[in-house]
Amino acid sequence: MNKLNIELTVNGKKRKVETTTSTRLLDLIRDDLHLTGTKEGCGKGECGACTVIMNSELAASCLVLALQADGADITTIEGIGNDKCLDPVQKAFIETGAVQCGFCTPGMILAAKKLLEENPHPDEEEIKRGISGNLCRCTGYQKIIDAIKLAANRLSSSDSGRGEKDA
Amino acid sequence: MQQRTIPCQYFAPQKIEEALGILFRYGNEIKVIAGGTDLLVQYYDRLYEINHWLDLKNIKELKDIRINKNQMEIGAMVTHTQLEVSEDIKKYFPILGQAAADIGSPQIRNRGTVGGNIVNASPAGDLLAPLMAYDAQFRLLSIQGEKIVTAEEFFIGPKKTILEPAQLLTQIILPLPSERTYGSWIKIGKRKALIIATITLALVVEMAEDHKTVKDVRTCLGSVAPTPIEIKEVKKKMVGKNFNQLDFAELGQIVEDKISPIDDIRGTREYRKDVAKKIMIKALEEIDSACGGGSYINE
Amino acid sequence: MPKRYVGKNIYKVDAQDKVTGKAIYPDDIYFDDMLYLKIKRATHPHAYLRRIDTSKAEKLPGVVKIITAADIPQVKNFGLIIKDQPVLVGIGQKMRYMGDALAIVIAESKEAASQAMGLIKVEVDKLEVISDPLRAMEKDAPLIHQDSNILATHYLKKGDIEKGFTQADIIVENEYRTSTLDHVPLQVETGVGIYDEESGVIKLWVATQWLHDTQADIAQSLGLSKEKIRIIQPVIGGAFGKKEDISVHLHLALAAMETKRPVKLTYTREESMIAQSKRHPFIIRMKTGVTNKGYLTACQVEVIGDTGAYASSGLAVVHKGMYHCTGPYNIDNVRGVAYTVYTNNTYCGAMRGFGTTQMAFAYESQMDILSCKLGIDPIQFRLQNAYDIGSTTPNGQRLTYSVGVKETIKEAANIAAWKEGRP
Repeated sequence: MNKLNIELTVNGKKRKVETTTSTRLLDLIRDDLHLTGTKEGCGKGECGACTVIMNSELAASCLVLALQADGADITTIEGIGNDKCLDPVQKAFIETGAVQCGFCTPGMILAAKKLLEENPHPDEEEIKRGISGNLCRCTGYQKIIDAIKLAANRLSSSDSGRGEKDA
Repeated sequence: MQQRTIPCQYFAPQKIEEALGILFRYGNEIKVIAGGTDLLVQYYDRLYEINHWLDLKNIKELKDIRINKNQMEIGAMVTHTQLEVSEDIKKYFPILGQAAADIGSPQIRNRGTVGGNIVNASPAGDLLAPLMAYDAQFRLLSIQGEKIVTAEEFFIGPKKTILEPAQLLTQIILPLPSERTYGSWIKIGKRKALIIATITLALVVEMAEDHKTVKDVRTCLGSVAPTPIEIKEVKKKMVGKNFNQLDFAELGQIVEDKISPIDDIRGTREYRKDVAKKIMIKALEEIDSACGGGSYINE
Repeated sequence: MPKRYVGKNIYKVDAQDKVTGKAIYPDDIYFDDMLYLKIKRATHPHAYLRRIDTSKAEKLPGVVKIITAADIPQVKNFGLIIKDQPVLVGIGQKMRYMGDALAIVIAESKEAASQAMGLIKVEVDKLEVISDPLRAMEKDAPLIHQDSNILATHYLKKGDIEKGFTQADIIVENEYRTSTLDHVPLQVETGVGIYDEESGVIKLWVATQWLHDTQADIAQSLGLSKEKIRIIQPVIGGAFGKKEDISVHLHLALAAMETKRPVKLTYTREESMIAQSKRHPFIIRMKTGVTNKGYLTACQVEVIGDTGAYASSGLAVVHKGMYHCTGPYNIDNVRGVAYTVYTNNTYCGAMRGFGTTQMAFAYESQMDILSCKLGIDPIQFRLQNAYDIGSTTPNGQRLTYSVGVKETIKEAANIAAWKEGRP
């Protein structure tokens, strides 16, 4: 199949990638860029494991053609934080025990992060709605909600919440 | 590794005219993609079957919600999220915004579009009953010209519309309703998120200037027939009557009697008929309380 | 060691890897020259395979090889308890459910493998499809395997059931049915395999729950010694019992040996639904006796567990369900029989609770119905019959410590703000 060239920004870096008309953004992220923190759970937009932030919006990368992401700005879980500098949401997930098998975690964290950006003080219903596109099958929803509340509290109570180094 | 002999192409033009030219050239051989939230599900594990794509993402004018004189024009690429947050939609077409907010999940609402929802023509499409209830018309363009059709004309069966291969749905046109218009939207499904509706109801009632007499009514349902439908008998019963003297149970019964849904994985015919009646009564009650709960005061 | 952790908040050891996306699940493993597999599955739930034609699919660019049963005559059946599952269904052999594998497609890309699947032609001789275990148990029902469709019958006896019902003032008899359930772990069945020609070792990175049983089963199926099978457990994206059974393992091993290249197989969600184990649907007929004062005297139970096309853990699940027929309540006189039955449904295996959850639906429903008939508050009724230290379970186990059911019931009632008959 003929290859087509696209250019997109992933986690702040410009990437030029050869792709095809039948490649999904999810495949491009995983198979070509090897950013395997983005997962495939259903391939049909139901589970949210493939969630990324695309042009400042949450998107299910299994429902986006790679070519549709030409010129787009993409953030995956790898762009949120790392071992040296965890994002407050990541930290809260660890501390509240919101992580079990971990397969939903990257998508869940991206959904949580996006929610808190748009609504820094969500109530429980708003949190549930914010993560309604992400399934957890270990059924750790309560702790995930606790984690998001914890992150929200920390982010609002201190400006230094971002980029804590003592992970 | 060469798997296909036809070179695959992907077009993302910036102008509608360009898109229409491409459509004219390729006709059935090209897939138009808007948000992709239905198409990529439909073509899961077989995207290789599509050789040519026409992506509408770069056509800016398709992404606008604007008021033009006495009507609202919604571009086909307007997303569900845009509908949900638009102040104009909230003001003039609140139940369209509510229906958009009930679609899928944040991920789906951010990508899925009103045009896609219409063209996909699922009997369960969440926006279809509200659009029909607000007397929506669709602007279909091709290089041969423009055609404007009503929602009733557009949908002809499950996943079937009158849209021709060379035509593009570009705009949804909604007449601005009077200030005395009230709406109620009810979606029934097994979950709150990411659920295909078992039944939907969009009820829009316009009161006369006395704020009591029903001037016009549109009772539209989804997931109960091959296409979204309007129950016209309700209109006959309601128009000209004083709203607080209506028999809600009787109107609910009319809705139950006039629909003939099927059994499917989301619900049985019996369930749908029963629920249709109950949600009609609930919708009438909601409108009742929204417009004054029986003691309508002039604004 | 317990002193270091009890009462303290301990972070999960791999939580940080999981929140940063660094944790490696099997599908996250890539090799440069890796091939992709797809499994061509049964075209009918109960049929003899008459013909399979892979010639067109093999000609598709990108397809490396298609393995059918004819290529692997030495390979034996596999299974957790009974070796009744074929690795690939051969000509003249039977497909018993829609998940049975007919061919392994090996290709340079996922896409080529998917495309090739559609080009494989299969012809079958159809048999009656048995989807109802009650039909499977009838004398004239066609046999799904060689022997009876009733794979196993287990009995349970405690005390004197006749005496128990004689002592009862009220007897309630009902039939309960539970449905098939998928575990839906967020990660589907997936793995990567490599064959090292020099050592003859097959290395598999697979999400699996029973590493060593799986290793032994793969070895016996392939006719290799266990040292030749090395299973590496990456991070698992949920299992809940579904990953106790073999899924991708044998197909990966065969494809790796055949091609001498790294191979990857990831099910689609739909495939996982069709092919991999489920929770057993049960038919439970339960008769329970109670005195006017609200003391349970007898429980008689018949359990029919639909294990689908293959045994998997079925025998253990169904009879374990039966052993729990009284729930956490004292009943001196118990009699039970449990049938594990083959059908053409997707096979059923382990799932959280292992048969006890199905049974809970029956005995707790009986408790509610009985309490209603007795006019006793259902909480009170449960409390006066609940296990204590010293109670004996239906299979004769004397409980000597850690019996917390009464506290649990009280606490649950407390949280639910339970007041005389209503929350």
